[in-house]
Amino acid sequence: MSGRGPWVPVAASADLAPGHVYQTMLAGQGLALWRGDDGAVNVWEDRCPHRGVRFSAGDVVGGELRCVYHAWRFAAGSGACTFIPAQPNAKVPRAIHATPWPVAEVAGLVWTALAAQGAPPADLAGEVLRALPVNRPAAAVAQEAAALMAAHPALRLFVQPLAADRAVIRGLAAGVDIMAADLLLEAARRRLEDAALMEAAAC
Amino acid sequence: MAEILTGAASGARDPVLWNDWHVIADLAALRAGADFATTLLDVPLLARLGAAGAQARRADGAPLHTEVAYGFLWACLGAPARPLITIAEYAEAGRTIATGGSVGVHVAAPRVVENFLDLGHLGYVHVGYLGEEPETMVHPYRVGPLEGGGVLATGCKVYQPVASPAAQGGYMVDYQYCVVRPLITCLHKANPVARDAWDVIYLFVQPVSEERSIAHTLMLFAPDGTQPADLRRFQQLIFLQDKPILENQTPRRLPLADGAELPIAADSTSVAYRRYLVAEGLAYGVIPAGARVAA
Repeated sequence: MSGRGPWVPVAASADLAPGHVYQTMLAGQGLALWRGDDGAVNVWEDRCPHRGVRFSAGDVVGGELRCVYHAWRFAAGSGACTFIPAQPNAKVPRAIHATPWPVAEVAGLVWTALAAQGAPPADLAGEVLRALPVNRPAAAVAQEAAALMAAHPALRLFVQPLAADRAVIRGLAAGVDIMAADLLLEAARRRLEDAALMEAAAC
Repeated sequence: MAEILTGAASGARDPVLWNDWHVIADLAALRAGADFATTLLDVPLLARLGAAGAQARRADGAPLHTEVAYGFLWACLGAPARPLITIAEYAEAGRTIATGGSVGVHVAAPRVVENFLDLGHLGYVHVGYLGEEPETMVHPYRVGPLEGGGVLATGCKVYQPVASPAAQGGYMVDYQYCVVRPLITCLHKANPVARDAWDVIYLFVQPVSEERSIAHTLMLFAPDGTQPADLRRFQQLIFLQDKPILENQTPRRLPLADGAELPIAADSTSVAYRRYLVAEGLAYGVIPAGARVAA
């Protein structure tokens, strides 16, 4: 499968509208994605280090993400906490920071990795397909995606594992109608989920 | 013993909560001739108004201790290790008393208590009522043990635009917090009309399961003309601002290990509360110190 390796697309660039915090998961880990006013994307563990509130419930304020609970602010890039309104005159301890993940924005997709190994993907082109969630384990979805790519070389497909039994197919289509490509993905999802229903019924 | 016969209930493995009293229903929620179903520490209960007043029983028929007090029905699944708490203000003449409704929250009970003790969120989660920018600084206050066990925080001050239904404008409100049981806490705040009188709010958190709770509140306000319905409306407004915050906390259980979450000086009450839970040996609705924090 294309893009084999630790880098996985977890959003489309177009999902990250200014001011928006996009929530997703990778292998059971909640992620908060947002674009600072410098245009760069941040992929953070979706959890404020103070009381564990999801960052994705917060707001983007310029180059900072503001937690919804106590309005602590965290800087784009480093994730360092810059301001604590309850103690406005005190220096913020360095230990307080968000947990940034590796990030790359390539070919209209936002990529991250559980552990950054090697360079992010390059030589990718095409139109970004609609992300399609599938209620099946990532391994089964990847198998179906590989078969699709073998039959349709214009497609480059990638599988984002969400949790144990759920994954998202993301991808690019070069030189083909993306509506037609989308219908192929829909059909693949139906095959995968119908097969799971048959298995369950057989038990 | 019932605990052994029904060992499947995960609440039974926490003797602190199993042998303590918990609010399970606002008496106003009960009707004659119709069961009110609820759950305490994973154990299904049924309550109703009978000829002898409010009563509750376990759905599986095992024994259950119950009491009626302060407008609520209370239950203890094990052997009560201590009596019900005493709320002296309940007997004071002239107080306006109201229950604030019972709100389900998809988070562990100690998270609900900790939020109640928190000063730093008032200017954001309750903006325009219990705080506002730029008055967001948490002024230094004192925290110590409560006599008889628990936590006492005194000398808290917070600027509030609308401190309660009777407030005619913003003022610097004096606060005190008590944690009297692992899942029972109360605050005293200066009444807006008679600033030397305390309005009292109790929070009783019913542990439904490890990660689900029902928050019950009781308000005992100094006489300032406010009606019970006004108190109830205000309390529900405030608590429904907290609920989505609580339900976005992850993990849902309260982590007790030092460093699992990062408190600051303004969070001294929270730090003392977590240490109190460690000292009590609470095991339910928490991630014990030493356990790995689940994602």
